[in-house]
Amino acid sequence: MNYPDVTQMAVPFFIAAIVLELVWILTKKRGGRYETRDALTSLLMGAGNVVVTIVLGFVAYGFFMFLWGLTPLDLGSSVLVVAVCFVLDDLRYYWVHRYGHRIRWVWASHVNHHSSQHYNLTTALRQTWTGTFTLMMVVRAPLILLGFHPAMVLFVGGLNLVYQFWIHTEAIDKMPRWFEAVMNTPSHHRVHHGRNPRYLDSNYAGVFIIWDKMFGTFVPEQQSDRPEYGLVHNLGTFNPLRVAFHEWLGIYRDMTQSGISLRDRVMYAIAPPGWSHDGTRDTSDQIKIKHLERTPEDRDTPGFNTH
Amino acid sequence: MPLPILLVLVVGGIGAIALVLHMLGLSARKVFADATEVRGIWESEFPDNPVRAVLLSHDRHAALIDTEDGQQGIVWPMGADAAARFLAGATLKKARNGLNINLPDFTAPRISLRLGEQEAEAWMAKWADARGQRA
Repeated sequence: MNYPDVTQMAVPFFIAAIVLELVWILTKKRGGRYETRDALTSLLMGAGNVVVTIVLGFVAYGFFMFLWGLTPLDLGSSVLVVAVCFVLDDLRYYWVHRYGHRIRWVWASHVNHHSSQHYNLTTALRQTWTGTFTLMMVVRAPLILLGFHPAMVLFVGGLNLVYQFWIHTEAIDKMPRWFEAVMNTPSHHRVHHGRNPRYLDSNYAGVFIIWDKMFGTFVPEQQSDRPEYGLVHNLGTFNPLRVAFHEWLGIYRDMTQSGISLRDRVMYAIAPPGWSHDGTRDTSDQIKIKHLERTPEDRDTPGFNTH
Repeated sequence: MPLPILLVLVVGGIGAIALVLHMLGLSARKVFADATEVRGIWESEFPDNPVRAVLLSHDRHAALIDTEDGQQGIVWPMGADAAARFLAGATLKKARNGLNINLPDFTAPRISLRLGEQEAEAWMAKWADARGQRA
Protein backbone atom coordinates (compact mmCIF):
# COMPACT_ATOMS: atom_id res chain seq x y z
CA MET A 1 0.00 0.00 0.00
CA ASN A 2 1.68 3.23 -1.17
CA TYR A 3 0.73 6.71 -0.05
CA PRO A 4 2.71 9.89 -0.67
CA ASP A 5 4.49 11.68 2.17
CA VAL A 6 2.26 14.73 1.97
CA THR A 7 4.13 16.77 4.59
CA GLN A 8 7.36 16.57 2.60
CA MET A 9 5.52 17.24 -0.64
CA ALA A 10 4.00 20.34 0.92
CA VAL A 11 7.37 21.97 1.74
CA PRO A 12 7.45 24.16 -1.43
CA PHE A 13 3.85 25.20 -0.70
CA PHE A 14 4.80 26.09 2.88
CA ILE A 15 7.63 28.34 1.70
CA ALA A 16 5.47 30.03 -0.94
CA ALA A 17 2.63 30.59 1.54
CA ILE A 18 5.01 32.15 4.09
CA VAL A 19 6.27 34.57 1.44
CA LEU A 20 2.69 35.41 0.44
CA GLU A 21 1.65 36.02 4.06
CA LEU A 22 4.67 38.25 4.59
CA VAL A 23 3.86 40.28 1.46
CA TRP A 24 0.24 40.55 2.61
CA ILE A 25 1.25 41.81 6.08
CA LEU A 26 3.71 44.33 4.66
CA THR A 27 1.35 45.70 2.04
CA LYS A 28 -1.83 45.75 4.13
CA LYS A 29 -0.06 46.78 7.36
CA ARG A 30 -2.18 44.32 9.31
CA GLY A 31 -2.77 40.60 9.67
CA GLY A 32 0.19 39.59 11.79
CA ARG A 33 3.83 40.21 12.58
CA TYR A 34 7.18 38.70 11.57
CA GLU A 35 10.52 38.93 13.35
CA THR A 36 13.72 37.46 11.97
CA ARG A 37 15.00 35.38 14.89
CA ASP A 38 11.56 34.18 15.87
CA ALA A 39 10.84 33.02 12.32
CA LEU A 40 14.30 31.48 11.98
CA THR A 41 13.81 29.49 15.20
CA SER A 42 10.42 28.28 14.02
CA LEU A 43 11.82 27.21 10.64
CA LEU A 44 14.79 25.45 12.25
CA MET A 45 12.42 23.61 14.57
CA GLY A 46 10.47 22.54 11.49
CA ALA A 47 13.62 21.36 9.71
CA GLY A 48 14.67 19.45 12.84
CA ASN A 49 11.29 17.79 12.95
CA VAL A 50 11.75 16.58 9.36
CA VAL A 51 15.17 15.15 10.23
CA VAL A 52 13.88 13.44 13.39
CA THR A 53 10.97 11.96 11.46
CA ILE A 54 13.38 10.50 8.90
CA VAL A 55 15.72 9.18 11.61
CA LEU A 56 13.20 7.92 14.19
CA GLY A 57 10.18 7.28 11.99
CA PHE A 58 10.95 3.58 12.01
CA VAL A 59 10.04 3.35 15.72
CA ALA A 60 6.40 4.30 15.22
CA TYR A 61 6.12 2.50 11.89
CA GLY A 62 7.64 -0.65 13.37
CA PHE A 63 5.15 -0.52 16.24
CA PHE A 64 2.25 -0.02 13.81
CA MET A 65 3.36 -2.91 11.58
CA PHE A 66 3.63 -5.11 14.68
CA LEU A 67 0.00 -4.25 15.51
CA TRP A 68 -0.99 -4.83 11.88
CA GLY A 69 0.44 -8.31 12.17
CA LEU A 70 -1.76 -8.95 15.20
CA THR A 71 -5.11 -7.81 13.87
CA PRO A 72 -7.32 -10.10 11.80
CA LEU A 73 -9.13 -7.06 10.36
CA ASP A 74 -8.37 -5.36 7.05
CA LEU A 75 -10.74 -2.63 5.87
CA GLY A 76 -9.00 -2.26 2.51
CA SER A 77 -8.11 1.01 0.84
CA SER A 78 -11.29 2.39 -0.71
CA VAL A 79 -11.86 6.15 -0.74
CA LEU A 80 -14.60 5.74 1.87
CA VAL A 81 -12.26 3.86 4.19
CA VAL A 82 -9.58 6.56 3.77
CA ALA A 83 -12.21 9.21 4.57
CA VAL A 84 -13.38 7.37 7.68
CA CYS A 85 -9.77 6.87 8.71
CA PHE A 86 -9.16 10.63 8.30
CA VAL A 87 -12.08 11.52 10.58
CA LEU A 88 -11.16 8.94 13.23
CA ASP A 89 -7.52 9.97 13.09
CA ASP A 90 -8.61 13.56 13.68
CA LEU A 91 -10.41 12.36 16.81
CA ARG A 92 -7.15 10.64 17.76
CA TYR A 93 -5.33 13.94 17.15
CA TYR A 94 -7.76 15.79 19.43
CA TRP A 95 -6.99 13.48 22.36
CA VAL A 96 -3.24 13.35 21.78
CA HIS A 97 -3.25 17.14 21.60
CA ARG A 98 -5.32 17.38 24.78
CA TYR A 99 -2.93 15.03 26.56
CA GLY A 100 -0.17 17.25 25.18
CA HIS A 101 -1.49 20.13 27.25
CA ARG A 102 -2.61 18.21 30.33
CA ILE A 103 0.23 15.72 30.89
CA ARG A 104 3.61 17.34 31.47
CA TRP A 105 5.49 14.43 29.88
CA VAL A 106 3.67 15.05 26.61
CA TRP A 107 3.73 18.85 27.08
CA ALA A 108 7.53 18.63 27.19
CA SER A 109 7.39 17.68 23.54
CA HIS A 110 4.57 19.99 22.48
CA VAL A 111 5.61 23.12 24.41
CA ASN A 112 7.98 24.27 21.70
CA HIS A 113 5.07 24.70 19.27
CA HIS A 114 3.62 27.29 21.67
CA SER A 115 6.89 29.01 22.47
CA SER A 116 6.69 31.74 19.83
CA GLN A 117 5.20 35.08 20.81
CA HIS A 118 4.22 35.49 17.17
CA TYR A 119 1.42 33.80 15.31
CA ASN A 120 2.17 33.44 11.64
CA LEU A 121 2.70 30.63 9.16
CA THR A 122 6.23 29.97 10.42
CA THR A 123 4.73 29.21 13.84
CA ALA A 124 2.96 26.25 12.24
CA LEU A 125 6.35 24.78 11.40
CA ARG A 126 7.70 25.16 14.96
CA GLN A 127 7.31 21.43 15.52
CA THR A 128 8.62 19.02 18.10
CA TRP A 129 11.85 17.06 17.91
CA THR A 130 10.89 14.73 20.73
CA GLY A 131 7.44 13.43 19.84
CA THR A 132 8.64 9.83 19.68
CA PHE A 133 9.63 9.95 23.37
CA THR A 134 6.09 10.79 24.48
CA LEU A 135 4.94 7.34 23.28
CA MET A 136 1.70 8.93 22.07
CA MET A 137 1.91 6.61 19.08
CA VAL A 138 -0.07 4.16 21.23
CA VAL A 139 -3.18 6.32 20.74
CA ARG A 140 -3.13 5.28 17.08
CA ALA A 141 -3.18 1.60 18.03
CA PRO A 142 -7.00 1.26 17.97
CA LEU A 143 -7.12 2.51 14.37
CA ILE A 144 -4.68 -0.13 13.22
CA LEU A 145 -6.28 -2.88 15.26
CA LEU A 146 -9.61 -1.90 13.65
CA GLY A 147 -8.13 -2.70 10.23
CA PHE A 148 -6.83 0.62 8.90
CA HIS A 149 -3.44 -0.05 7.31
CA PRO A 150 -0.51 1.75 9.03
CA ALA A 151 0.48 3.48 5.78
CA MET A 152 -3.05 4.86 5.47
CA VAL A 153 -3.04 6.01 9.09
CA LEU A 154 0.24 7.86 8.59
CA PHE A 155 -1.06 9.33 5.29
CA VAL A 156 -4.19 10.81 6.87
CA GLY A 157 -2.09 12.02 9.81
CA GLY A 158 0.09 13.87 7.30
CA LEU A 159 -2.99 15.40 5.66
CA ASN A 160 -4.12 16.52 9.10
CA LEU A 161 -0.83 18.34 9.74
CA VAL A 162 -0.86 19.96 6.29
CA TYR A 163 -4.42 21.20 6.94
CA GLN A 164 -3.27 22.78 10.20
CA PHE A 165 -0.59 24.84 8.47
CA TRP A 166 -2.89 27.51 7.04
CA ILE A 167 -4.76 28.14 10.30
CA HIS A 168 -1.62 29.62 11.90
CA THR A 169 -2.29 33.11 10.65
CA GLU A 170 -3.74 36.44 11.72
CA ALA A 171 -4.20 37.44 8.07
CA ILE A 172 -7.57 35.68 7.99
CA ASP A 173 -10.12 36.97 10.48
CA LYS A 174 -13.16 34.69 10.18
CA MET A 175 -14.25 32.09 7.63
CA PRO A 176 -17.92 31.72 6.60
CA ARG A 177 -20.16 30.83 9.54
CA TRP A 178 -20.86 27.25 8.38
CA PHE A 179 -17.13 26.64 8.05
CA GLU A 180 -16.35 28.09 11.49
CA ALA A 181 -19.05 25.79 12.93
CA VAL A 182 -17.47 22.57 11.70
CA MET A 183 -13.84 23.15 10.82
CA ASN A 184 -10.82 24.32 12.74
CA THR A 185 -10.01 27.83 11.52
CA PRO A 186 -7.45 30.58 12.10
CA SER A 187 -9.83 32.18 14.62
CA HIS A 188 -10.31 28.96 16.61
CA HIS A 189 -6.62 28.15 16.56
CA ARG A 190 -5.53 31.66 17.58
CA VAL A 191 -7.51 30.95 20.73
CA HIS A 192 -5.57 27.72 21.23
CA HIS A 193 -2.27 29.62 21.03
CA GLY A 194 -3.45 32.36 23.41
CA ARG A 195 -1.67 32.66 26.76
CA ASN A 196 -4.53 34.73 28.17
CA PRO A 197 -6.05 32.87 31.14
CA ARG A 198 -9.34 32.66 29.24
CA TYR A 199 -7.81 30.69 26.40
CA LEU A 200 -5.61 28.21 28.26
CA ASP A 201 -6.34 24.57 27.48
CA SER A 202 -8.95 25.14 24.79
CA ASN A 203 -9.55 24.35 21.11
CA TYR A 204 -7.42 21.22 20.75
CA ALA A 205 -8.88 20.32 17.36
CA GLY A 206 -6.79 19.43 14.36
CA VAL A 207 -9.21 19.63 11.43
CA PHE A 208 -12.75 19.42 12.85
CA ILE A 209 -13.60 21.85 15.68
CA ILE A 210 -16.61 19.67 16.51
CA TRP A 211 -14.47 17.58 18.88
CA ASP A 212 -13.93 20.58 21.16
CA LYS A 213 -17.64 21.31 21.08
CA MET A 214 -18.42 17.67 21.89
CA PHE A 215 -15.90 17.37 24.73
CA GLY A 216 -16.42 20.81 26.29
CA THR A 217 -13.12 22.49 25.43
CA PHE A 218 -14.33 24.96 22.80
CA VAL A 219 -13.77 28.67 23.44
CA PRO A 220 -14.65 31.21 20.74
CA GLU A 221 -12.28 34.08 20.02
CA GLN A 222 -13.34 37.24 21.83
CA GLN A 223 -12.97 40.67 20.25
CA SER A 224 -12.67 42.09 23.77
CA ASP A 225 -9.79 39.78 24.70
CA ARG A 226 -7.46 39.37 21.73
CA PRO A 227 -5.12 36.38 22.04
CA GLU A 228 -1.62 37.12 23.27
CA TYR A 229 0.65 34.42 21.96
CA GLY A 230 3.34 32.39 23.64
CA LEU A 231 3.78 30.61 26.94
CA VAL A 232 2.51 31.59 30.37
CA HIS A 233 6.20 32.23 31.10
CA ASN A 234 7.81 33.14 27.80
CA LEU A 235 11.22 31.82 26.86
CA GLY A 236 14.22 34.10 27.00
CA THR A 237 16.07 32.34 24.19
CA PHE A 238 15.82 31.70 20.47
CA ASN A 239 18.26 28.76 20.66
CA PRO A 240 16.44 25.80 19.02
CA LEU A 241 18.19 23.29 21.29
CA ARG A 242 16.94 25.08 24.40
CA VAL A 243 13.50 25.47 22.85
CA ALA A 244 13.35 21.75 22.05
CA PHE A 245 14.60 20.35 25.33
CA HIS A 246 13.91 22.85 28.11
CA GLU A 247 10.81 21.19 29.51
CA TRP A 248 12.42 17.75 29.47
CA LEU A 249 15.28 19.19 31.53
CA GLY A 250 12.73 20.80 33.83
CA ILE A 251 11.05 17.44 34.39
CA TYR A 252 14.40 15.79 35.08
CA ARG A 253 15.39 18.45 37.62
CA ASP A 254 12.03 18.34 39.35
CA MET A 255 11.92 14.56 39.50
CA THR A 256 15.44 14.21 40.84
CA GLN A 257 15.34 16.90 43.52
CA SER A 258 15.92 15.71 47.05
CA GLY A 259 13.37 15.51 49.82
CA ILE A 260 10.22 14.63 47.89
CA SER A 261 8.19 11.45 47.81
CA LEU A 262 8.06 8.90 45.00
CA ARG A 263 4.50 10.03 44.29
CA ASP A 264 5.71 13.62 43.88
CA ARG A 265 8.43 12.49 41.47
CA VAL A 266 5.89 10.69 39.31
CA MET A 267 3.48 13.62 39.48
CA TYR A 268 6.16 15.94 38.10
CA ALA A 269 6.02 13.84 34.94
CA ILE A 270 2.35 13.07 34.59
CA ALA A 271 0.47 15.91 36.31
CA PRO A 272 -0.59 18.96 34.29
CA PRO A 273 2.13 21.51 33.49
CA GLY A 274 2.56 23.89 36.43
CA TRP A 275 1.90 21.26 39.09
CA SER A 276 4.36 21.35 41.98
CA HIS A 277 4.63 19.36 45.20
CA ASP A 278 4.72 22.52 47.33
CA GLY A 279 2.14 24.56 45.43
CA THR A 280 4.65 27.23 44.40
CA ARG A 281 3.61 27.03 40.73
CA ASP A 282 0.26 27.30 39.01
CA THR A 283 -1.49 24.94 36.63
CA SER A 284 -3.78 26.44 34.01
CA ASP A 285 -6.76 25.69 36.25
CA GLN A 286 -5.17 27.64 39.10
CA ILE A 287 -4.25 30.48 36.73
CA LYS A 288 -7.91 30.75 35.71
CA ILE A 289 -9.11 30.71 39.32
CA LYS A 290 -6.64 33.43 40.30
CA HIS A 291 -7.65 35.47 37.26
CA LEU A 292 -11.28 35.31 38.34
CA GLU A 293 -10.33 36.40 41.85
CA ARG A 294 -8.68 39.48 40.33
CA THR A 295 -11.28 39.96 37.59
CA PRO A 296 -14.61 38.61 38.86
CA GLU A 297 -16.52 40.23 35.98
CA ASP A 298 -15.04 37.55 33.68
CA ARG A 299 -16.87 34.81 35.58
CA ASP A 300 -19.26 32.80 33.35
CA THR A 301 -17.80 34.29 30.17
CA PRO A 302 -16.26 32.03 27.50
CA GLY A 303 -13.22 30.18 28.83
CA PHE A 304 -14.32 30.64 32.43
CA ASN A 305 -17.67 28.88 32.37
CA THR A 306 -16.54 25.95 34.47
CA HIS A 307 -14.80 27.93 37.22
CA MET B 1 10.63 13.52 -2.48
CA PRO B 2 14.34 12.72 -3.05
CA LEU B 3 16.38 13.66 0.01
CA PRO B 4 18.84 16.02 -1.77
CA ILE B 5 15.94 18.04 -3.21
CA LEU B 6 14.25 18.17 0.19
CA LEU B 7 17.52 19.32 1.74
CA VAL B 8 17.99 22.11 -0.82
CA LEU B 9 14.39 23.25 -0.35
CA VAL B 10 14.57 23.29 3.43
CA VAL B 11 18.01 24.89 3.78
CA GLY B 12 17.49 27.30 0.88
CA GLY B 13 13.98 28.19 2.01
CA ILE B 14 15.01 28.88 5.60
CA GLY B 15 18.05 30.91 4.55
CA ALA B 16 16.11 32.95 1.99
CA ILE B 17 13.24 33.75 4.36
CA ALA B 18 15.62 34.76 7.18
CA LEU B 19 17.62 36.97 4.81
CA VAL B 20 14.51 38.65 3.41
CA LEU B 21 13.16 39.33 6.91
CA HIS B 22 16.47 40.84 8.00
CA MET B 23 16.72 42.99 4.86
CA LEU B 24 13.20 44.23 5.53
CA GLY B 25 14.33 45.54 8.89
CA LEU B 26 12.41 42.95 10.89
CA SER B 27 15.34 42.15 13.18
CA ALA B 28 14.97 45.30 15.27
CA ARG B 29 14.84 44.83 19.02
CA LYS B 30 11.80 45.98 20.89
CA VAL B 31 11.83 49.44 22.41
CA PHE B 32 9.49 49.74 25.38
CA ALA B 33 7.12 52.68 25.12
CA ASP B 34 7.22 53.55 28.81
CA ALA B 35 7.13 52.15 32.33
CA THR B 36 3.44 51.36 31.97
CA GLU B 37 4.12 48.97 29.10
CA VAL B 38 6.91 47.29 31.08
CA ARG B 39 4.62 46.97 34.09
CA GLY B 40 1.99 45.30 31.90
CA ILE B 41 4.51 42.82 30.50
CA TRP B 42 5.80 41.93 33.98
CA GLU B 43 2.36 41.53 35.50
CA SER B 44 1.14 39.35 32.62
CA GLU B 45 4.09 37.02 33.39
CA PHE B 46 3.92 37.29 37.17
CA PRO B 47 0.44 38.46 38.19
CA ASP B 48 1.08 37.39 41.80
CA ASN B 49 4.05 39.76 42.05
CA PRO B 50 2.85 43.29 41.24
CA VAL B 51 5.37 45.94 40.32
CA ARG B 52 6.41 48.57 42.86
CA ALA B 53 8.89 50.42 40.64
CA VAL B 54 10.24 50.31 37.09
CA LEU B 55 13.68 51.59 36.16
CA LEU B 56 13.74 51.90 32.38
CA SER B 57 17.11 52.03 30.63
CA HIS B 58 18.03 55.23 28.80
CA ASP B 59 17.34 53.69 25.38
CA ARG B 60 14.19 51.92 26.67
CA HIS B 61 15.55 48.48 25.68
CA ALA B 62 15.37 46.99 29.18
CA ALA B 63 13.95 47.63 32.60
CA LEU B 64 14.83 46.73 36.16
CA ILE B 65 11.80 45.81 38.25
CA ASP B 66 11.15 46.09 41.96
CA THR B 67 8.14 44.10 43.07
CA GLU B 68 5.85 44.93 45.95
CA ASP B 69 7.07 41.82 47.80
CA GLY B 70 10.67 43.03 47.72
CA GLN B 71 12.04 41.04 44.80
CA GLN B 72 13.89 42.26 41.73
CA GLY B 73 13.39 41.30 38.14
CA ILE B 74 14.34 42.19 34.63
CA VAL B 75 12.32 42.79 31.48
CA TRP B 76 14.24 42.73 28.23
CA PRO B 77 13.54 42.42 24.50
CA MET B 78 13.18 39.05 22.83
CA GLY B 79 13.33 40.30 19.28
CA ALA B 80 10.18 42.35 18.75
CA ASP B 81 8.70 41.01 21.98
CA ALA B 82 9.84 40.71 25.57
CA ALA B 83 10.74 38.29 28.32
CA ALA B 84 10.79 38.75 32.07
CA ARG B 85 12.61 36.98 34.88
CA PHE B 86 13.27 37.36 38.57
CA LEU B 87 16.89 38.11 39.41
CA ALA B 88 17.06 35.58 42.24
CA GLY B 89 20.26 33.56 41.81
CA ALA B 90 21.54 35.86 39.06
CA THR B 91 25.06 37.13 38.68
CA LEU B 92 25.57 40.55 37.13
CA LYS B 93 28.79 41.58 35.48
CA LYS B 94 29.69 44.86 33.86
CA ALA B 95 30.50 44.50 30.19
CA ARG B 96 31.98 46.87 27.62
CA ASN B 97 28.60 48.08 26.43
CA GLY B 98 26.51 47.53 29.52
CA LEU B 99 25.71 44.58 31.69
CA ASN B 100 25.71 40.82 31.35
CA ILE B 101 23.26 38.89 33.50
CA ASN B 102 23.70 35.15 34.00
CA LEU B 103 20.63 33.38 35.29
CA PRO B 104 20.27 29.84 36.61
CA ASP B 105 17.57 29.32 33.99
CA PHE B 106 17.95 27.02 30.97
CA THR B 107 15.40 29.12 29.05
CA ALA B 108 17.16 32.43 29.71
CA PRO B 109 20.76 31.66 30.61
CA ARG B 110 22.34 34.95 29.64
CA ILE B 111 21.00 38.43 29.07
CA SER B 112 23.18 41.12 27.54
CA LEU B 113 21.95 44.63 28.22
CA ARG B 114 23.16 47.74 26.45
CA LEU B 115 23.57 50.36 29.15
CA GLY B 116 25.61 53.50 29.61
CA GLU B 117 28.62 53.37 31.92
CA GLN B 118 26.94 55.19 34.81
CA GLU B 119 23.66 53.44 34.18
CA ALA B 120 25.30 50.00 34.40
CA GLU B 121 26.92 50.98 37.70
CA ALA B 122 23.61 52.27 39.03
CA TRP B 123 21.84 49.03 38.09
CA MET B 124 24.60 46.96 39.69
CA ALA B 125 24.37 49.03 42.87
CA LYS B 126 20.60 48.75 42.97
CA TRP B 127 20.79 44.99 42.50
CA ALA B 128 23.47 44.62 45.18
CA ASP B 129 21.48 46.82 47.53
CA ALA B 130 18.32 44.74 47.07
CA ARG B 131 20.34 41.55 47.54
CA GLY B 132 21.83 42.94 50.74
CA GLN B 133 18.41 43.83 52.09
CA ARG B 134 17.12 40.31 51.43
CA ALA B 135 20.16 38.61 53.00
